Amino acid sequence: MTVAAAEQRSSRVPARAGGLLLLGVVLAAVLFLSITVGARPIALGDVLAAIIAPAPDSTTHRIILELRLPRTLVGLLVGAALGLSGAILQGATRNPLADPGLLGIQSGATLCVVLGISVFGITTLSGYVWLAFLGAGIAAVAVYLIASMGREGATPVKLALAGAAVTAALGSVTSAILITSVETLDQIRFWQVGALTGRTTDILLQVAPFLLFGIALALTTGRILDGLAMGDDVARGLGQRVQLNRAFAGLAAVILAGGAVAAAGPIAFVGLTIPHVARAMTGPNYRWILPYSMLLGPILLLGADIIGRVIVPPGELQVGIVTAAIGAPFFIAFVRRRKLAEL
Amino acid sequence: MFRSIFAAALALGFAATSALAAEWTYTDGSGNTVTLDHVPTRIVMHANTAAGLIPLGIRPVGIYVDTPVAEDKSLQGLDLTGIEIVGEGWGEIDIEKVAALKPDLVLAEWWPLEKAFSGLEGGAGSTNQKMVQIAPVTGPAQGASIVQLIADYETLAASLGADLSAPDIAADKAAFEVSLVKFKAAVAAKPNLTVLPVWAGTDALYVAATAGSSELMDFASWGLKLITPDVADDRGYWETLSWEQADKYQPDLLIVDNRSDATMETAAAQPMWTAMKAAEAGQVADWPAFWLRNYKAYAGALDELTAAIDAADENLTN
Repeated sequence: MTVAAAEQRSSRVPARAGGLLLLGVVLAAVLFLSITVGARPIALGDVLAAIIAPAPDSTTHRIILELRLPRTLVGLLVGAALGLSGAILQGATRNPLADPGLLGIQSGATLCVVLGISVFGITTLSGYVWLAFLGAGIAAVAVYLIASMGREGATPVKLALAGAAVTAALGSVTSAILITSVETLDQIRFWQVGALTGRTTDILLQVAPFLLFGIALALTTGRILDGLAMGDDVARGLGQRVQLNRAFAGLAAVILAGGAVAAAGPIAFVGLTIPHVARAMTGPNYRWILPYSMLLGPILLLGADIIGRVIVPPGELQVGIVTAAIGAPFFIAFVRRRKLAEL
Repeated sequence: MFRSIFAAALALGFAATSALAAEWTYTDGSGNTVTLDHVPTRIVMHANTAAGLIPLGIRPVGIYVDTPVAEDKSLQGLDLTGIEIVGEGWGEIDIEKVAALKPDLVLAEWWPLEKAFSGLEGGAGSTNQKMVQIAPVTGPAQGASIVQLIADYETLAASLGADLSAPDIAADKAAFEVSLVKFKAAVAAKPNLTVLPVWAGTDALYVAATAGSSELMDFASWGLKLITPDVADDRGYWETLSWEQADKYQPDLLIVDNRSDATMETAAAQPMWTAMKAAEAGQVADWPAFWLRNYKAYAGALDELTAAIDAADENLTN
């Protein structure tokens, strides 16, 4: 890095910090909307009353406190987790198409939930949480072990290939179970879309510790990812322990992606799209990409959820469908408009 | 002696000729007429059709089920020994197993909306359509009444050689008539009672349209006041309510689709479930949704509903 470049970079720090602050304000606005807007119109005064002085008999207060508040907080944590894990996975594997689906995390979680329903008859969302965590962990470890075989260890290409293979294998087992049990299919259908509906306080409390820990861990990986971005050889030359660092970053991503899929089901596109948006705003420095992704993730996720709540009254469109509907065209337009930052 | 042998021979000869002449004809729910040169005895049936015919004494050689057998409500309590299962998932019929059974007939229900027999719907996969190459497929139509459907099964069973006056069969029918009288009396005693049939998911509450379900149309014809939802989709089965809108209708009695036990658990786990006064007051019963096919099952379901109606406060809501 030349002196001029270093100066230019440092002069951009206030701009980036200002951008982060602005995103924080936008996120606060989205959180406010997420509590006040829903399938049932509730006056602002009632919303405030529900939070300040909740009346146990009031249906509207119950909606605010038991439906919208936990749903919003789950959306906040899951959005942050998806944004961060996507950014970490793209950085650690140097693969611009990496997302929480890449390492088999979502397919592992899905298979475990399907098995839980069909074999053990588990039918509650809070039961799915642990199953999804278990499946995400097993799949991620399996992918890592497969990719580690051979002399060079777990290189980005081998991780991507092992992830694709494990995803395909797990997906086919899931399909095999689902086509033979309509009952299981009925139960899983809604979960598999990815949704924030029905996420009550007990689910929030189950996943919050993992997601908060994962978020804290993820925010420390900026330096590691900046090193890995230069390529394994350069990173090694700079004194980084490449395999160890990649495994550490990967662990943070698995905790986040596993927690997100456990809380909301497999939600597509947020983890893939958000890091690219963040990168476009900040440039290639992961110490900025990570916090930007952390704020952009819940803005997109909760924004999509709010749209889904009001678009088909008196029903709702699940957030997984809305993010896919928004995410896919956005991602295509984004890729066409500018050359994706090289990773 | 000689005389009796002669009589027996004559009888035998007569029986043989009549068997040869016993052509079997049936006009099915789609309006098609199927004609066979003999009364079919090796029949493969859809699970619901088997649930209609086994209690009437007509046993299939094989059945195909839309779910694992243990999960199929309509087959509960029926003796399935000796019957081969040739499919345990919607659209998953093992055609080779069907062919190996050498059936002379396949019986299923005609769905007017789908314009297809159960298991042969357009979405059920192309291999299933090969069924018609193995044996003719026929059966009664799904319609506005389960009682009518059971009557259609009685006609069909009689044509297949069932003795409808057999004591067991007659007793089931008589028991149903008794249950029906009690049900009608319970309904008549509570003229203000309103009822809402629902299916509960974690995503939303689904409210059923009366016209989408044969047994609900039966209940309505017997005087039960079912709330009619504003159904948006043209298939006309359900109105989808976000849980935030779950108290849009306030019935005195909720009946919950009991095809799966999980539905009631899911309902009870939703914070907004008890925003409906009926749920809060425990005025909740099972809705035997879409699976009733014989008098015995229908009598049992009616008795449960009668008990729930008797126990319910008809003026819980206005």
